[in-house]
Amino acid sequence: MLVSGHVPSRQLTAGVIAGFLGVGLATAILLTIALRINDVWSASIVELVAAQQLAMQQARAAAADGAAVAPIPFDWTESARRFITTLLGGGLAWSWLPMIAGFAVGASGRAVIWSRTRRTPDVVASAGVARTFQNIRLFPELSLVENVTVGMDRRLSTGFIGSLLALPSALRERAQARAEALKLLQFVGLGEKAEDAAGNLPYGHQRRLEIARALASRPDVILLDEPAAGMNPTETVDLMRLIRAIRDNGTTVVLIEHHMRVVMGISDRIHVLQYGEKIAEGTPTEIRNDPKCIEAYLGKEELG
Amino acid sequence: MAARFASFARGQLIALGALALVPLLDLALPAAGMESLQLAGASRSVVVFAILAIGLNIVIGWTGLLNLGIAAFQAIGAYAFAILTWENYPFQIGFWPALVAAALIGALAGALLGAPTLRLRGDYLAIVTLGFGEIVQETLKNVEVVTQGTKGINPLPAPFGLTSDRAILWFYAYLAILVVVVYLCRNLEFSRMGRQWFAVREDELAARCMGIEPDKAKLKAFAAGSALAAVSGALYAAALGSTAEPASYGFEISILALCIVIVGGIGSITGVLVGAMVMLGITDVLLPLASDKLQDAGIGSTANVFSSPNNYKYLPAPGRPRCSTPSPVSTSRPRDACWSRAMCPAGSSPPA
Repeated sequence: MLVSGHVPSRQLTAGVIAGFLGVGLATAILLTIALRINDVWSASIVELVAAQQLAMQQARAAAADGAAVAPIPFDWTESARRFITTLLGGGLAWSWLPMIAGFAVGASGRAVIWSRTRRTPDVVASAGVARTFQNIRLFPELSLVENVTVGMDRRLSTGFIGSLLALPSALRERAQARAEALKLLQFVGLGEKAEDAAGNLPYGHQRRLEIARALASRPDVILLDEPAAGMNPTETVDLMRLIRAIRDNGTTVVLIEHHMRVVMGISDRIHVLQYGEKIAEGTPTEIRNDPKCIEAYLGKEELG
Repeated sequence: MAARFASFARGQLIALGALALVPLLDLALPAAGMESLQLAGASRSVVVFAILAIGLNIVIGWTGLLNLGIAAFQAIGAYAFAILTWENYPFQIGFWPALVAAALIGALAGALLGAPTLRLRGDYLAIVTLGFGEIVQETLKNVEVVTQGTKGINPLPAPFGLTSDRAILWFYAYLAILVVVVYLCRNLEFSRMGRQWFAVREDELAARCMGIEPDKAKLKAFAAGSALAAVSGALYAAALGSTAEPASYGFEISILALCIVIVGGIGSITGVLVGAMVMLGITDVLLPLASDKLQDAGIGSTANVFSSPNNYKYLPAPGRPRCSTPSPVSTSRPRDACWSRAMCPAGSSPPA
């Protein structure tokens, strides 16, 4: 065949092969660096927030006659297990949530949950801490079942190749995950709507779906961030029943809530926070009669 | 819900079936005494671009990453395929191994682009990928010792020993590859992998809090999309018997792929198949047909007069705006008054 132009030599061929290998190597190195940088970046944000709060708290404690303040305002050991623990706080309660989720549990050394150095949210999640969001963050265009199955992701083992070729193991796992997701939807009372898009659900149901999604990862601890916000009385009663059922199934519940009926109705233990510091701890009855709490939430009676 | 687990959706079967029937018109029309439309060649490019757009759909439609440089991966696939099969290189590993190798090299290149852009979203990612497309094009043009520069690598051996006059057989071979691609992508869509991509698209933070690692999911999406684009490029080069010049993998190809994805409905494989038929039907069948017919009617040449800006000034234009300050030229020759300040710098007269 007549080809005008240059006929590559053996040397050039070697060059091309070396080029391919070089590109491959460069990809591997770049990938490693990129993934690491991302981890370090995310982890450092979590730690920065946590460290700031810790410093703030210690400064405040030093100002108030140097009392030592624990990194977490409550005892996070076996005693907290299988309880519904409520953080009842003015304003700063929510700021404990990322700390519990991302930092304090591991850093304080009392961690029953995990001890790895990387603390990005995905690691926290795979360590067994699930959470819901105060402003609902579902996957609006996915169906209810798919939303719940995403929550199950950390327990699934199908890889890319398995997915691509629809290997029998992948199909089996998919069917199992689906059945389990349907069961969870049933548990939170959304069984009939399994194939609807999540974005079309009414507000109260979206909250329940979020809880189902968090439960799907079979967490040791589930953090609920103001689950009763914006709910009407009927929905609230249903929610309380649901949270109790979650506890009875053996999951520790940590609740951040202002809704007094929910707090007093279902909490096993309550920690009251004021300006980010704990001022009282106890059962609902104790908290109800605690003078410090009454002062913090109702104000002091002016005499004279 | 068993229907959702079936291998193909009904829409996909209809679209693939319709595409399979199109080239038969080439046989039917002459038999009915009409002019042949040469649809087999056009259908073959429908297949090539459908595969490209399915790859783009993984990145844009499923993972929500706006990639405007998909043509670069098509180029990488085409050149990898060409280098592995060209008779002047010692590889010559044959059609199927070269196709698989092109896909792997495309995936690698996709990961290479994806790695540094993990933190980018939306417009910023679009800019980076667009730049990548241009870089690849320029590189291919300038590394002449390897890529033959603007000449392109040719001739490439025809796959399956098919010659260019057997366009219909060629089309059906490509269609079979498309069917496999659709099947694999459908598997991905309804698997754990697809779910991770959707979750990342819908809400990255929520996905992260569910234990998904968005970075890995995005990289896999990039790699899978680029691998398909590379397959598309390899098929393109094989059909042409040449890689063609690097400029034929330019920005407009990326935009064409984007149009295919969007016309059919973003995120849907069926949509991509329909979109490819519509867009390629317009560019490869209707436009040449229309221009032929217009040429025949003599309208084409008239249309040229109207469409060429150089001819514009010879046409009478009653509503043409005049220069606000009359120049000496415009006072002496009001008929040729300049209608744009930019075209008539002061002191110069418009060309007669």
